[in-house]
Amino acid sequence: MTQRPYGIMAEFRTPDSLMDAVRATRRAGFTRIEAFSPFPLPDLADELGIRTGIIPWVAFVAALIGAVIQYGSQYWMNAIDYPLNVGGRPLNSWPTFIPSTLIVAILWAGAATLLGLLVILRLPRLHHPVFSVHSFERVTNDRFFLCIHGEDPLFDGEATRDFLQGLLPQAVREVPACD
Amino acid sequence: MTSEAQAVTRTVAEVPLARRFGVIWWGALLASGALVLLLGYTLVSVTLIGVGVWGINIPFVWGFDLINYAWWIGIANGASLFAAILVLRRHDLRTAVNRFAEGVAFFAVICAGIFPIIHLGRPWLFYWVFPYPATFQVWPQFRSTLTWDFWAISTHAIVTSLLWYVGLIPDLATLRDRARNRTVKRLYGVFALGWRGSVRDWAYHQRAYRLVAILVLPLILIMQSTVAFEFAVTLVPDWHETRQPLHFVATGLAQGLSIVLLVAVLLRWGLRLGSYIDEGDIDLLGRLVLASALVSAYLYVDEIVAALLADGIAQEATFNRLTGDYAGLYWTAIVYSILIPQLLWLKAARRSTVACIFVGFSIGVGIWFDRFSIIVGGLQTDYLPSIWRTYSPTLAETGLFLGTIGLFAALLLLFVRFLPVVSMFETRHDEHEEKSS
Repeated sequence: MTQRPYGIMAEFRTPDSLMDAVRATRRAGFTRIEAFSPFPLPDLADELGIRTGIIPWVAFVAALIGAVIQYGSQYWMNAIDYPLNVGGRPLNSWPTFIPSTLIVAILWAGAATLLGLLVILRLPRLHHPVFSVHSFERVTNDRFFLCIHGEDPLFDGEATRDFLQGLLPQAVREVPACD
Repeated sequence: MTSEAQAVTRTVAEVPLARRFGVIWWGALLASGALVLLLGYTLVSVTLIGVGVWGINIPFVWGFDLINYAWWIGIANGASLFAAILVLRRHDLRTAVNRFAEGVAFFAVICAGIFPIIHLGRPWLFYWVFPYPATFQVWPQFRSTLTWDFWAISTHAIVTSLLWYVGLIPDLATLRDRARNRTVKRLYGVFALGWRGSVRDWAYHQRAYRLVAILVLPLILIMQSTVAFEFAVTLVPDWHETRQPLHFVATGLAQGLSIVLLVAVLLRWGLRLGSYIDEGDIDLLGRLVLASALVSAYLYVDEIVAALLADGIAQEATFNRLTGDYAGLYWTAIVYSILIPQLLWLKAARRSTVACIFVGFSIGVGIWFDRFSIIVGGLQTDYLPSIWRTYSPTLAETGLFLGTIGLFAALLLLFVRFLPVVSMFETRHDEHEEKSS
């Protein structure tokens, strides 16, 4: 028995035809599908039920941690561990601790969001099965792709290929598994 | 839409993928490379010999170093702020100028970061401002603006570079997929991190990018204010003013916008990107520069009014800047950063490449003189007559300044050579939307 492929991929010329194809695929009951496009398609993301709500939480929690660490370390270092009297100011002279607290909160939020993004997207990943598909390199230029994964419960080699063929794509190609 | 979209991608992508790049680019890179060598020379000399090679004295302990630091920070902040606002407003202009406005900000912050480190006198001990468990068990003094500055510069450098890079990933993937040479393909491929452009990836990418663009806004205001606090928290009569942060933020924005205008016009002319950075974009940028110059003018007036309301030595200090030994600096700043930009009221000037280069350059010069006037002219009047001295920069300081300009130009030249200066995926997106509406 041959190994089950990674999936089957159909190529489209316009975002609208990709949208129609995604709708038809979901109506047909496929659940493990992935769409690829050369630019962001927010409507299609909604259609696929993609929720990005975690991003602001990552930023918020990181900002909070950064702020607490920065204020706490300033307070601990200048008021407790090595009390530093500068011009008779109170040891916990909070107004002077605020600027760097805010800045470091932003540092944590910004770095956590952008590095967290890479973690969420599982990048870097230089090799991926979809890259072996002929003409997939046009996804970064002008072509739109829809992939039905081999793990989909309804996946059935020839039948799935025929189904995708019925959506009138430019081409249908198999994505071989590789590992 | 496909054929048009491809045309866009091709024109922008062909710039980094071209094999040859013309004599002008090489000439400019050599010239800026020579200045980078000068930078290296002045940095080595001040490290080996010490800050004695500079013209600084008491009370002028900062001199050129802080002038240039404050100037570069202004450019970095102005350009960053502008890029962030474009992204958040989803303005059409963002496609054209956002990418290199972020680039300008990042390169300017690199240039700015050199000065506070080198002016420490013992630059190899700069890490002392970082709270680490030192042998003597003494922590940094967090009430000092120098430590605020350390966090501000490093945060700005890290957040701007990350934002710039994350925005570049999809375009690096385009270059990877379009490259004909295998080595070039691999190189872009590594930096594209394996971007596949799945709809889910795009959704997260855009959300994160916009969110960090929001974070840049308060960062810029706090950072520019921190620079101003370095003056405001001292007891020097001319500096000890609550209006200082506002002055630095507003004039810094004018300066950042003017440099973005300058670079936009140069790129448009040099890379023949006329249809992506169109006349309307430049016109709008010109209007923004003019508006920000008017805000600067308001703050110069505010400076004089504040001095009139002040009494004694504070008033004397400000008027000494306007009429004393360093009055030339102040009035040069007024002419270059306020009067010359008024040219932009004329539509013909906003549409003219030469006029835009001239005005962009002149605001940069004007704000530099303003910083000079504040930092040097402002120190001339103090409570102690014994420190009423003058300051003039030495060759080592001038070389350092010219060197950072060379570094900035060299980084910008390498950027336009190897990376897409206009966001290709945003352009594809816009063209698609235009087509479908």
